[in-house]
Order: sequence, then structure tokens, then C-alpha cells
Amino acid sequence: MSYAYLFKYIIIGDTGVGKSCLLLQFTDKRFQPVHDLTIGVEFGARMITIDSKQIKLQIWDTAGQEAFRSITRSYYRGAAGALLVYDITRRETFNHLTTWLDDARQHSNSNMVIMLIGNKSDLESRREVKKEEGEAFAREHGLVFMETSAKTAANVEEAFINTAKEIYEKIQEGVFDINNEANGIKIGPQHSPTNPSLPGAGGVGGSQGSACC
Amino acid sequence: MFRSRSWFGGGWGRPKNPHSLEHLKYLYNVLSRNQTVSEHNRGLLVETLRSIAEILIWGDQNDSSVFDFFLEKNMLSFFLRIMRQRSGGSNYVCVQLLQTLNILFENIRNETSLYYLLSNNHVNSIIVHKFDFSDEEVMAYYISFLKTLSLKLNAHTIHFFYNEHTNDFPLYTEAIKFFNHPESMVRIAVRTLTLNVYKVEDSSMLGFIRDRTAAPYFSNIVWFIGKHIQELDMCVRNEADHHSQNRLADLVAEHLDHLHYLNDILCLNITDLNHVLTDHLLHKLLIPLYIYSLATHRRTSSIAEGSVSKILWSSSSGPDSPRLQDPTSGRVSCVVALFLLSQVFLILSHSPLVQTLAWIILKTDKSVFEKGVTKLLEHYECEKKLLEDSYEETLVEDLRNITDEEKEKLAKNPSDFVATEKPFLETVYSALDCNENDYAALFGLCLLYAMANNKGVTTDVLEQVLKPKKSFSSKDVKYSYNVYLVEKLLSIVTLACQPTCRVRLVTLEITLKLLLQLVICDGKNILMDQHRPTIESCKSQSLALLRNFYKSEEIFLDMFEHEYCDMSKSSLNVEWLCMDSAILLPPAGTPMTGIDFIKRLPCGESEKARRAIRLFFLMRITALSLNGEMETQLPLTNPQSCVQIEQALDLNNSDLIACTVLYKDGTKMRRFLVIDVMQLILVEPDNKRLGWGVAKLVGFLQDIEVTGDKDDSRCLHITIHRPISGATTNRVPLLSAKFLFDDNIRCMAAKQRLTKGRIKARQKKMQHIARLLEIPGQSGPPSPAFTGQGLYGGRKNVRPMFVSSRCPGFAAPKRDSSPGVLHRTSRLQNDVSPSSSNRSRDSSLGRAKSREGSPRMPRPRSEEIPLELIKKTTLIDMAPKISILPRPQTPRIENELSQEKEAAPTIFISEETSFIGDRKTTNDGVETI
Repeated sequence: MSYAYLFKYIIIGDTGVGKSCLLLQFTDKRFQPVHDLTIGVEFGARMITIDSKQIKLQIWDTAGQEAFRSITRSYYRGAAGALLVYDITRRETFNHLTTWLDDARQHSNSNMVIMLIGNKSDLESRREVKKEEGEAFAREHGLVFMETSAKTAANVEEAFINTAKEIYEKIQEGVFDINNEANGIKIGPQHSPTNPSLPGAGGVGGSQGSACC
Repeated sequence: MFRSRSWFGGGWGRPKNPHSLEHLKYLYNVLSRNQTVSEHNRGLLVETLRSIAEILIWGDQNDSSVFDFFLEKNMLSFFLRIMRQRSGGSNYVCVQLLQTLNILFENIRNETSLYYLLSNNHVNSIIVHKFDFSDEEVMAYYISFLKTLSLKLNAHTIHFFYNEHTNDFPLYTEAIKFFNHPESMVRIAVRTLTLNVYKVEDSSMLGFIRDRTAAPYFSNIVWFIGKHIQELDMCVRNEADHHSQNRLADLVAEHLDHLHYLNDILCLNITDLNHVLTDHLLHKLLIPLYIYSLATHRRTSSIAEGSVSKILWSSSSGPDSPRLQDPTSGRVSCVVALFLLSQVFLILSHSPLVQTLAWIILKTDKSVFEKGVTKLLEHYECEKKLLEDSYEETLVEDLRNITDEEKEKLAKNPSDFVATEKPFLETVYSALDCNENDYAALFGLCLLYAMANNKGVTTDVLEQVLKPKKSFSSKDVKYSYNVYLVEKLLSIVTLACQPTCRVRLVTLEITLKLLLQLVICDGKNILMDQHRPTIESCKSQSLALLRNFYKSEEIFLDMFEHEYCDMSKSSLNVEWLCMDSAILLPPAGTPMTGIDFIKRLPCGESEKARRAIRLFFLMRITALSLNGEMETQLPLTNPQSCVQIEQALDLNNSDLIACTVLYKDGTKMRRFLVIDVMQLILVEPDNKRLGWGVAKLVGFLQDIEVTGDKDDSRCLHITIHRPISGATTNRVPLLSAKFLFDDNIRCMAAKQRLTKGRIKARQKKMQHIARLLEIPGQSGPPSPAFTGQGLYGGRKNVRPMFVSSRCPGFAAPKRDSSPGVLHRTSRLQNDVSPSSSNRSRDSSLGRAKSREGSPRMPRPRSEEIPLELIKKTTLIDMAPKISILPRPQTPRIENELSQEKEAAPTIFISEETSFIGDRKTTNDGVETI
């Protein structure tokens, strides 16, 4: 399937906050009505449309690999967007956000768009973190904030798509160096050589070829 | 988006409950009737595969018969059959198939279910299947599948993947084929997988890894790293103008990724594997390419000659030549080599590796060097053996026989380590030459620092070169250090303290860091007499330099505090420094490069002032550390001594001005305004104790802005900016509100006191800085007091400040209980010995005199309350006068050097000093003259 851009995302946050479920919910909606089943997955891709352009989102979950520094390092660096997730029913997952954010800021490229997600908004009765607290944290650290539920799918689409919109805007503003794939952005195969509006797009194919093993 | 299709073709017998064995049976039927993938059924197949994943997970958690059915019908074989077809849209189906497998393996909790799934070798058949890897989606799902499987590996499951009999381990061997895939996420997945595999403790599997794959895999990695750093070198060479910093940043980050990956492997401590890896790294990469690049420059030795083209060694075999058979054929420039080696020593700590490297850099002599890498390593092995053998003998016997004098001679003969006979070390040393610039010096310092602080390098290699040496003579311990290196470092420091220097702050900071490590041993400063004056003169030089900027910049005080805060936020982290590709480019002066201030040269007067401030701090800290002293003068504000929010204050006898605070959002609050020495405090009456108040908002007087209201003479607009702090970059004002007073008199009083308070608070700090800078006219040694001490600061028991000025603006201090020093409560007063309170007062007066002793001092102005008088009078009714701030007056006039126009309310100082005096009596003694 052809696309104008491919954005790579990572999902970060404590274990058990529902990262892989969010991922699956977004990439494969059929798991939505399953109520008493938690299913997650570590990778998924989906096509979305922004500004009438096809954009492919690739989402990589980093769960279970925190033990290796080399791995987390490179994950952060290779992504254009990050979803930083906490669980609104577990205060400690909120408390750890700063650590995650510090890590992300240290390793990622400075343009990475980070969205803060308070997950499990369906469990209102067990809520430990107020929505306002999430909002305040996001405001303080310059993040976009949203509460979602992987179970009811509330706001899941929006979370991923809004992040993509922000990345797209940054591309339009020329903030992102799109010729540099290390930023987690790729120009679609058919777009690179022909589309004159993308500066220096020819370079992409070249660098790909040379690096191929 | 395909959900609608699921109804298509599933017309009959579809069970209502999607979570049931019946549903799986139905799906089985669908699969068996659609064994050939075609344009028509692919949507159906995808939907079926999705449903299978879901129902299997449900079954895993709820109904074991579901899994039994799946295995009984051998449904995985359908999967294989589907993926082996190369028909239209098969990639599309394959992607879902892989995702279904991902979901399965990731979500299965029941171990038995997992074993069943793995038991019939279908999974291995899927792993070795040649998917269409040119499709990036297939590639991504495939590699995720392999990675997911690797996360399931343990001592039990490994046997499903590694076949001892056939000596076959497809999961690993297939994965490493993609280790250099152009897609970074694929590479990362491969690395994750390899690490997950190595982690499994299974000797026969690890044997397979070592014997069958380690050599080719590691040599490939090494080869690619070699190729990579040549790209990096090229980039540095071509990017002298800071054009594509991004590309360089990526290359540097990539190199760090490589090193971290190698380190992650080495840290798993698999002896055999580490041996092979270390061997490859030393023979093929680190010595021939990294270390030998240091020596390429030896003869010309133009490292520090400024021009980049001179610095950068141009290799004869262009590093960009497409088919580099051996990365060693082209070496990299000296600066790049120093930088990369620093990274190696900062990240890797595997002892056999770093020990060898350190030894080679520090000890290799010319004769061995010329023989080449292999000989060099052999030589090292020999030396090591010799050393180990001789250890028993030498240490036990020889040393016993050597006389003290001989030992001393040995210790004092560091020329060994200076000798030009050591090509690598010589390069590092000569890089430290900053006469032209500090471009190469920074890397040389980083490398030396990294080696000296690497946990894997033992002291015997470093001793005398990078660590002080201790030798025991009969009576005492003798210390010695690398004189040559220390002199090199001192010359960098000297250059850095020159007004026109070309040394960046970061270079100076790391130089000082290294210097301290070299000359402090067992907590003692072992700096030789010949070197001590250099540090002292550098320190004076730094003072002199900063004096030029004192007050030349209007916001000097803010700059001073900001720089201090910035600096104390985090000390220099060399590892982070070496992650920054920007330092690889020749030192820049302009902030437009986006390079951190400390990593470039100052641009313009304002930045020169900043630099001078930093320089002053750095030299000050160094001098203090060398003398084993603690900082007692900085920061200018001591946060511990400030009033905190919610602190209860005894405000009996204090000047309180009632006001209503009107916030922008419309909220109103009734508060009392208290103006302390350094702080503005808004209090609310304490309902527990009469006359007490609870601080609801505190701000520093130095950070306030006060403006009157054009339309209402009872109103003031007050903005309190946040104090400079490292914690937040948030510069939203602490408070920005309209204050409404009872009448215009009180309003004016408040305005005057706030305005004056601001000036005084700032003056006080400036005077403190002046004392630190030893600016003439500041008599006496600097006070140990932090200027931040307010009246209420740091106290648990709070004392009255001003006597019963019930009505704000009316100063009616009744101070019989607190003679002279306003902030003493009667309670506390008893605790303070008369001598200490006298002493402190004296000292404060002394200072006041020197700084701002104005000729008018002895004449008490009507609105001021001379303390000496207060002492004797029980009550002075000054009702008609507006009290700005009472202040102590001294009857004597001494030392009128200062030309301050304003007679300072010196009471601030007396309070602060005596307050300290009662906390730190030791310092107080010093202070008193």
C-alpha cells in the first residue's frame, strides 16, 4: 500500500498500563468489544489520512526490553512520535512519568512529538489520578494530553491521529529533517523521486541503497 | 475495516457467541474450505485469522478445550500452507498471519498451551519461510514475530528452537541475517533478539552460538562499525562549517548504539562469547583503527594548529570507497579517534578489553608500535605474563630489597611517561596544547578522564600516569603524580584564565576535574610547591577578569545567580558530553550554531561576562577543593534560611500592612503584607495564636515589580517573578496581581518599602559579590553569612520583628526586649550569649560602614528608628511618620570609602549576621574583627 509518509511511533510507560492493548486497539479494531479479555501486541501498523494524504503509522512497543540500554536508546532515537502512557487507576504509574520523560528527552531527537495518555478511563470508580493532574503535567512539560480507554476505544483513534497531525505539521513547518530516516519519518516509496515539493527527496533512495546489506 | 466482510462467506453455521469452541470449529471449517488464497477469499481469510487469535487467547484463559481442538486439527499447518502460496495478495494475508502469531505468543499465559504451540516444529518452519522481505510491512511483522518469540525464551523453551542434534537454531540464525537492515527498527529488533538469546543459560546452545555463529556475526559487526566510523570521519571533515549537524549527530548516535550493544553483550558475562568478541574488537577494530589513528599524526603533530584541514588526516584510500576490504586500511583523523576512544572508555567496562586498550595507549613504545597490531598484542600478552609472574617475585622480594631512596627515585621519575618513545600517549599529550585553540584538547582530556575513571581498568596500569602514586618509605607515605601531565593541565587552566583566551568552559571544567583526580590522594592535596602558585594566580586572574564585568552589565546580579544555578544544577557529565556530536566540529563562537554555551566560545560582551562568572565559579570551587574547604558563601540566597509557605510567623511587633489581593481571575484575598529583609511575605492571621500569621505567599524582593495604579491611588500592581532555579524553566510570575490598600497613605508606604526593599536586597547581594571578588573598598573578609537570611528565615520559633504596629504604616517599635538586634525574640535572646550578639552586631556595623557608610549615617532621619535609641526607649510613637524601615545607626563614622547615596538600612545586615552568628559560631569568630 502506498503512502506519502510513514511515521514511526513508540509507546512507553510502566508495565501494565495497557500499552500493547492501546496498540492493538488502534491497529486492529476488532478487539474492541471483547470485554473480559486483555489482548495486546508489540507491533502494529495502520494507514490514516491527514490533509488528504495517506500516512502510515508504525507503532513499536518496547515492553520487556528495558534491561538493555542499547535497545531503549535506539528505540527512542528512531521514533517520530511517542505515546507516554500511565494508568489512571494506579498512582505510581503517574509518578514515574518524569523518569520516562527524562529518558525520552535524553535519547530521542528533540523534535519527537510526545503525547501523554491516561489510560483506562473506563475505570472511573477506581480512578487515582485526576484528569486535571494529567493536564497539569502535560502543560508543564509541553505535551499533548488525552485520557483513553483501550477497552471502550474511547479516544484511542484521536490519540494516535492527533500525534500524527502534530508530526505532520512539524514536517510542513520544516522542523523535521525528513530526509533523515533516523528521525522516524520516511517518505513513501513512490513519493520520493517524483514529488518536487519534498526537498531533496532523491537522497532517500540513495542512502537506502548504499546501506542495504 | 474488514469487519463487514466477515459476514460474507460465513453465512451458515456461524455461532452467535464468538468466544466458544463452536466458533473455533466454525473458523476451522472456513480455513479448510479456503486453502487456496485468491483475490476473492483473502478478506475472509484475514478475518478468520484474526478471529482465531482472539478465540485462542480467550480459550487460553477460559476453556482448555479450545486449545485442544486447535492442536488436534493441526491448525498451524494451515498457516504454513497459506504463507507458502505465492498468489495475489498473499503478502496481505501473510501480514495478518504473522500478527495472529504475534498475538498468540504474546498473550498466552498458560505454559502448557505455549509448549503445545511450539511442540510440532511448525513455528520453526514459519521462521525459516522466505517471506517477501522486500515488503516493509511483511518485514516489520516478521521481525516482530521473531522478537516476540525471543522474549519467550528460557531454559525450557530454548529446546523448541535450538535443535541440539541437527545443530540448528533458525530463530537466531535467521534473525542475524538482518542485523544490518536499513530499517533501524528492524536492526533494533535483531539486537534485542540476540541479547534475549544470549541471556538464556543453556550451555549447548551457547556453544553453538560461539562455534557456529560468533566469528562471522561479530566480525560483521566489527566491519560495519569500522565502515561507519569512516563515514563519521568524512562527515567531520566535510562539516567544518556546521552545515549538516543532523547527519553528524546521527552518525555519533549510531556509534554510541554500537558501543552500547557491545557493552550489553559483554555485560551478560558469557565467558566464551566475550572472549571471541573481545578478540575481534581488539584485532580488527579498536587497535588497528582507533588507536593506530592516534599515531598517524605523530610526525607532523599539527593537531592544535587550528585549521581543520591540517588537523584532519586524509587517508589515501578514501573511506568512502565502496568496497573497503579492511577497515584498517583507512584511518581516521586524530580528533575523531580521540573522541571515539573516549566513548569506548566511557561505555565499555569489560576488563580484558579496556585493560588492554589502556595499557596499549599508555605504555606502548615506538619499537613495538612499528611492528604492527598483532605484534603489539603479543607484546602486551607477554608483558602481562611477565608482570603477573614478576608480581610474586618483585613484590615479595625485590621491593623488599629496594632502599627508600631508590623507591623515591622511581616515584619521582615520571619522565617515563612523558617520553616521546610512547607514540600513542604522546599524541594524547600533544593534543592538550591549547595555544591555538582547544579543539583537540577537549578530546584528549575526555579520553584521559574516561580511562582514569573506567571501572575495568586496574590501578596498576593507571598509577603514576592518571592516578597519584603512593610509595611507602620507612616512616611515611610518599605521594607522587604525573608532573608532566599536571603541568599540561595547569597551562590549560592558565590559558583559560586569560582575557583573550580560546579555551571553552567545558574544556576548563574537565581539565579541573582531571587535575583534582591527579593531585588529590587519600583526601589530601599532594600538589607540589612548584605547582601551587599557578592555581593561586589563576584564581586571582579569574577574580580580576570578573571584576571588569562587575556592574558593567545591568543585570549582572541576575546573570550571576543564574549562572550559579545553572552550574550547580548538574556538574559536568563527561559521558553526556561525549554523546554530543557538536563538539566534533571546530570550536564555534556564535550561538546561532545551537551549541550549548559552555561548549562554545563566548559571543559578545554579555556572554563574555557569563563566561567570566563561570570561570570565577570553577576556579573558586577548585581552589576550595584543593584546600579541602567547603563553600560557605554561595549561593547568594540560602534557601534554608528563607520563610517558606505555610510557615507560622510571630508577627507581634511587626509592621503589617493590610491589603486585599485581587487576582486577574477575579479572586480576592485579604492578606497582610510583611516585608522582610530579602522577602515579601503575604500572611493570613493564624487562628491558633494571636499575633501570629501563616505565610501564604513568599517572594524575593529582588524579583518584584511594583507600579502604581493610574486610576486608584490605593492600588498597586505587583508582579513577583519566580526566583531563578534549576528545577523549572517555567518563568510564569509567581504572582501578578493588584493590591488594594486601606488608603493611599498605606499604599504609598507599601510602595516605598517594596521599592526600597528591592533596591536594598539587590545591593546587599551585589556587595556580597563584591566581597567575593575582593573589590577594593570592601573591608574585612567576606561574611560567612548567606545574604538570603531573612528575619524569619530558617527559624522554627519565630520572634517578633516590629513592636505592635497595629496600624500599618505606623512604626511603633517597642524593642526593650530585643536590644539592638531587631529579630531577637525575648525567648531566643536569652539563649544567645551577650558576647555573640555583640560580636555580630559589631561585625555588621563594620561592614555597613565600609560599604555604605554615608556621612549622614549618624543623623537619624525622622522616619528611621535608630536602634540605639530604641534600646533605651520603651515606646517611640512615630505615628505621623511613615516608617520605611527602621534601621540601626551607629554613632561612629569610620571608613567612608563607599559613595552609596542611600544610607542603607543596615539593620538588615546586623540581623543576618547575628543570625548566622548564632548558627555558625565558628565562622563568626573569623568574621569578627
